[in-house]
Amino acid sequence: MESFNFPKAVALLVVLIATNLTGAISSTVPDSTATMHTNNWAVLVCTSRFWFNYRHMANTLSLYRTVKRLGIPDERIILMLADDMACNARNKYPAQVFNNENHRLNLYGDNVEVDYRGYEVTVENFLRVLMGRHENAVPRSKRLLSDEGSHILVYMTGHGGDEFLKFQDSEELQSHDLADAVKQMKEKRRFKELLIMVDTCQAATLFSQLHSPGVLAVGSSLKGENSYSHHLDSDVGVSVVDRFTFYTLAFFERLNMYNNASLSSLFNSYNPNLLLSTAYYRTDLYQRRLEEVPVTNFFGSVMETIHTDSAYGALSGKQLKSGEIKMSSGEDRQRILENSDVQDQGSGLNIKDQQVTCPFTRTLSTIHESVEKVKDVDGLVNFGLVLVIPLLAVSSWLSS
Amino acid sequence: MTGVRSIFLFVLLFFAYETSLARADVGKNEDFSEALLLRPLPDRKVLAHFHFQSTVPPTNSYGRHHHLFPKSIYQLVQKFHLREMELSFTQGRWNYERWGGYDPISSSNAKPPGVELWAVFDVPQHQVDASWKNLTHALSGLFCASINFLEHSTAYSTPEWSFRSSGGYLKYGTLPREAVCTENLTPWLKLLPCRDKAGLSTLMDRPSIYRGYYHSQRLHLTSNEFDSNGLISGIVLDQTLTIVLQPNIKGTGAIFSSGSTLQPSWSLSSLFGRKVGERCVLSKSSNVYVQLEQNSVSQLIKLGNDDKGSHHEVDISQNFVGDRGFAISIPPDRQIREVDRFDTGSLSILHQFSVENYSDLKPFDLEFRWKLPLVWSCRQAPLSVSRYLMGSGNERGSIAISLKSTRTSECMQNADSSASECWLRVDIFQVVPWYVKVYYHTLKVFIDERFQTVANAVERMHVVPSEDKVSPGVMELTLKLPCGVRSAALTVEFDKGFLHIDEYPPDANQGFDIPSAVVVFGDFETSIQFADDDYLHNIPLLSKLQEKSRVVSYTEVLLVPLTTPDFSMPYNVITITCTVFALYFGSLLNALRRRVGEEGRLLKTKATKETGKLSSLLARLSAKLRGKPWEPPEQSSSSASFFNRKLILKVLLVAGLAVAWQYYSG
Repeated sequence: MESFNFPKAVALLVVLIATNLTGAISSTVPDSTATMHTNNWAVLVCTSRFWFNYRHMANTLSLYRTVKRLGIPDERIILMLADDMACNARNKYPAQVFNNENHRLNLYGDNVEVDYRGYEVTVENFLRVLMGRHENAVPRSKRLLSDEGSHILVYMTGHGGDEFLKFQDSEELQSHDLADAVKQMKEKRRFKELLIMVDTCQAATLFSQLHSPGVLAVGSSLKGENSYSHHLDSDVGVSVVDRFTFYTLAFFERLNMYNNASLSSLFNSYNPNLLLSTAYYRTDLYQRRLEEVPVTNFFGSVMETIHTDSAYGALSGKQLKSGEIKMSSGEDRQRILENSDVQDQGSGLNIKDQQVTCPFTRTLSTIHESVEKVKDVDGLVNFGLVLVIPLLAVSSWLSS
Repeated sequence: MTGVRSIFLFVLLFFAYETSLARADVGKNEDFSEALLLRPLPDRKVLAHFHFQSTVPPTNSYGRHHHLFPKSIYQLVQKFHLREMELSFTQGRWNYERWGGYDPISSSNAKPPGVELWAVFDVPQHQVDASWKNLTHALSGLFCASINFLEHSTAYSTPEWSFRSSGGYLKYGTLPREAVCTENLTPWLKLLPCRDKAGLSTLMDRPSIYRGYYHSQRLHLTSNEFDSNGLISGIVLDQTLTIVLQPNIKGTGAIFSSGSTLQPSWSLSSLFGRKVGERCVLSKSSNVYVQLEQNSVSQLIKLGNDDKGSHHEVDISQNFVGDRGFAISIPPDRQIREVDRFDTGSLSILHQFSVENYSDLKPFDLEFRWKLPLVWSCRQAPLSVSRYLMGSGNERGSIAISLKSTRTSECMQNADSSASECWLRVDIFQVVPWYVKVYYHTLKVFIDERFQTVANAVERMHVVPSEDKVSPGVMELTLKLPCGVRSAALTVEFDKGFLHIDEYPPDANQGFDIPSAVVVFGDFETSIQFADDDYLHNIPLLSKLQEKSRVVSYTEVLLVPLTTPDFSMPYNVITITCTVFALYFGSLLNALRRRVGEEGRLLKTKATKETGKLSSLLARLSAKLRGKPWEPPEQSSSSASFFNRKLILKVLLVAGLAVAWQYYSG
């Protein structure tokens, strides 16, 4: 009776696990191909305090200006500046920040919206912004209100090291923290695609723990490399921009929002001889080919347009489109369900394919299986006995 | 059918129009007006004071739809039931001695550095704290500042009577170290209907504003939306920007016979780098005023009398008008003189210029040129206040507030009351963060450098001691000083507390700030009274100047160095402890686990293993075949010596044989 029960129980267990697994797969992996790219967000972080880190603020503000110029509105940019450089008592040019010694461009302008500044720029607040876990009282302008159709650009600059980035010279963001936050964002469907750009020393190490799909990471330097500043402004008295950011901006200054320059052309524009470090980009989590992705997908706010035939058909066209998308996603789900059915049926037959967690049941089942496979049991036993005889003879002769 | 329909529609529209007209007639409308007041200061600087006022009639008569009034402020008032609120962002410190401390502008626009926020709520007492918390968050989002740090109960307090009487509905908080920059001014400007695109606000060129010596941006709103008693005036929002600028030094070359140099001349374009182009058409009035203070006017009159006969002054151009002492490039539209109530002799004069007739093609630019050197001083508050720290070391210290009489007030005091019983009342409101633990029983009062008992000198006092990590210490007291007082001082001792390591800010070595104390001279009220004129009451800036306001001074912010831990210490401790533990346990385990005999045996088996299993098996097999008892191979060292001896023997044997062979054969 027991011998009959055992395989049944195992099979039941396997079936249960299989259904759970497929269920989990269908719920955790959003069909990212189905959701359209609908909006763009940018989180720009300068993590360094103190006047001598002027260049980090200039880096961040340059990027802020660039993404604003390419079409991301202020309410979709979270700007975090750890110190006040523009109105700092040491600044010879009050209310102005420059990223070049020619002083042609005032980055601070008349219309800067700083969302987090000073002591507010902490690891906690940064992670809260990414994950969207705020107190109720926090206003909308300080939240990252992205959704599953969002492309998010996260830019960070400051002082970093092997798998960490320093905030305010007092605390650290570790690569694990970043990876966990990104994973949680993915689970909460807070982004479709994410580009993390980091300009610090050993920036590449910050990405080592990332494993969420749809994430693209660019760093200014490899492990063991420093990220250097570009030049010193003798009027301001400090270095005003970092090399990696300087050449990134040089690339973007040539572009406007109608340009189709691809991400790969941005990545190829980094010259290690000019950067004095090796720019690193991690693409293994990213599905699309970089040659086909325009930079304005992250640094601008350029959406795909839907062409409709008639002038007033825009609404109906949209509905049609969304209907199609829904249908296709429905099909996908159906297919997944079918697959799981097939697996369920098959799991009873070939247990070997399934991963069973308990080692005891696994060994038992393998033994059981092999026993079942062999038809001629008597022959096997005889063969074994014959094999044992010479062994016995040799060993007794040796030991005597 | 269609005809009937259209007629019906027309009638409907007509009625709608009629009703809207009627409604507009009944209710007051939204108003916006702007003004700029310029005043030369005695220390060769210029004060510029922008004033913008937006008003909206109450919701129940006007509705919720606004044309001019900023929606975000309206929503703040509605959501948090604000009765009154003031938020100021200030950079620099108002110099009370040079720039005056008695006029309406200095007493209401001189603010402590950083952010100051106070609000009076119209909610039940138990909801006040929650409303305050949400208000700080909302304002931090609105004005791009970290005002939300005021949400903690350690950061704000509830003044009872010294700051402003409100019966517990008033909350007060300051952030002395908050940076003030462009990002705070931009949202403030966005509340104006014309932003900074037209009108007087176009003058606000950021670099020239922030280059100034003092910069204070203030937002004050009063509302009686929620008042049950009659008088309903809606919401009044006053936005002021007060800056002290240094004009570019030019035209000061001439040195006059008296040896004094001419004050620098200035114009709007030299101060701000811009001119006023198009006026803001939404504004009810947009005027520029040039104010000459009482003391400067009296000096000018004196100069005029002196120079009656001499001819060394030369009129630079014909279109310049003004007194003998100065000239303004544009004739003023109106000259407004202060009405003398006490016969003090000197009166301030305002020159009014309207910018309504100017355009982009013909921008408004006012030039003010001094013709004679003038030395004057501003009117000062009855007592000048300063606050400083005493003591040394990182353990304890004391705070001292010193009040010194200014001569002007003394004269005034004598003029005011000649009775023998004359007292000067001074309210002091001071908030101290919890980590500065003030011992209020050590309060000492010195009047004219003589010690006074607290009961004698202090009329009333209200102290809320601080609670660690919960609430700050609040001290409110009213000093009662004799009118002829020359100086008074107030000291109180404190211990410095310790913070948890997580509570230190990233730049803890810089020290911690004690917010400014507020000193209110309750007996004094300041205002500039003009001749009774309805026109003047319609201009918000002038009506503000005519309003009686209390004379208020803020003291300096104190910087207290606290003991800061070595922040890398935990890591050092962890590293060194781990090393010590590793060394200890490593050697201990080594000593406990090591067995000497076992080691020898281990070596032996290793040696056998070295020869290889197969070879030992083969040896065993060959021994069996030869019929000899098999013995394991000996130690490599002994075998080596054994083999050596054998080798030598062999060599000797071979050598002997060779010798023998040689001997016998040869």
